Amino acid sequence: MSNQLSFHPDNAMLVEFSAGTLETALSICVSAHLHFCSQCRSELMQLDHIGSQLMSAAEPAEVDDSLFDDVMAKIDSVEAAPAAAPSKSKGTDMPFTVNKLIKEAEQMPIWKRLSGSVDVARLKTGQEKFEVALHRICAGGKTPKHDHSGVEYTVVLKGSLSDERSVYKEGDFLVRQPGDVHQPMGGQNGDCICLSALAAPIKLTNPLGFLMKPWLRINPM
Amino acid sequence: MLRKQIDTLDNSAQAKGRVAVLNTSEKRSDQWSLLLISVGEKRDRLAFAQLFKHFAPLIKSFAQASRHEGWFPGLSDDLVQEVMIKVWQKAAGYNPEKASATTWIYTVARNCRIDMLRRKSNTQHLPLENEDFWHEPDEDTPVSLLRQKRSEDRVQDSLSQLPKEQDEILRKVYLEGKSHAEASSELGLPLGTVKSRVRLALQKMQILVSPEYQDELSHE
Repeated sequence: MSNQLSFHPDNAMLVEFSAGTLETALSICVSAHLHFCSQCRSELMQLDHIGSQLMSAAEPAEVDDSLFDDVMAKIDSVEAAPAAAPSKSKGTDMPFTVNKLIKEAEQMPIWKRLSGSVDVARLKTGQEKFEVALHRICAGGKTPKHDHSGVEYTVVLKGSLSDERSVYKEGDFLVRQPGDVHQPMGGQNGDCICLSALAAPIKLTNPLGFLMKPWLRINPM
Repeated sequence: MLRKQIDTLDNSAQAKGRVAVLNTSEKRSDQWSLLLISVGEKRDRLAFAQLFKHFAPLIKSFAQASRHEGWFPGLSDDLVQEVMIKVWQKAAGYNPEKASATTWIYTVARNCRIDMLRRKSNTQHLPLENEDFWHEPDEDTPVSLLRQKRSEDRVQDSLSQLPKEQDEILRKVYLEGKSHAEASSELGLPLGTVKSRVRLALQKMQILVSPEYQDELSHE
């Protein structure tokens, strides 16, 4: 879990993650990376000190005495009820958020064949700005050469992946800009599973408001 | 009546709180952390009341600072309630080796604030709570408490000495809840300028930066 990774989210993303202002889909990707990267976890802890310090140095607001009584009353009423078992995931190598998304989906994510060597399963994340999905690339499999219609963030969850530039291992965090054409290949040592968030392109509608163009995941070239 | 007891305790406690020093045995010994441990271990209501007295006004102030879309002042008391109830419920899981009580409570407040906003504004069900994103692996590498404490002190010291334009952006991001992009359009600054001001601030606070940025920083 504490192996050195080469590809990390940039500082701006970690700062926004720490401040809680990062988009939900990207927070899912960052948190998946954190699962594998002790360096970013430690950086994040330090970033949290900024928020903590800003909060505690602020001018305290007036709090009505009754609020304390309300809180104690609520605590007493909750304490009377049986406590829910803490939900901790054990015995799995997948990041907690990814596991929870898979488990709590109304139905299990369905793997769909995208090409001869790539399967995709979309995840429901309650937001529409990004398409969040898992990709499974078979060992040594080639993905179709593709362009991106929006920015794409990828975290390798299992196995490895390579393209013209580098080899990406478990936990590596990749950002691909629109127009960035690439053709990643699955590593030889088994299936590769990735988490990805793709910025949803602007929906084009005609003057009557009908959807004209479906969102394209991949443009085969 | 609990509150009266607290008031008498308060003066001596307050005096100790500010000057708490970390002893060499690497135990966190600041007042708030000790109180939080006591809540976690002994369900200590008096300790909880003291924490409430100190943190509730800070959490409320943090709530009032929010400029998130969809946030309104009436939510501030709700947030204080929600956070303090969580503090009571989760205190047993507080690990003083990882964070001071102040930082721990800040993270609870931050997560609650986002969850409240999501509940208010989202029609779609998000299957995650914000604290899920901070879930750490069980076999986490133990971080040296001393190193942590030093970083906390460094942030505290340097934050007050940051140039106004860097301080302003950190406040927008952490307190108002603005993204870098929103901060850039509000301040009428290019996004790159906002990001580089944040980076300079992080550099001053000596917060570890990713290797690809170390190069970049050395050229600035």
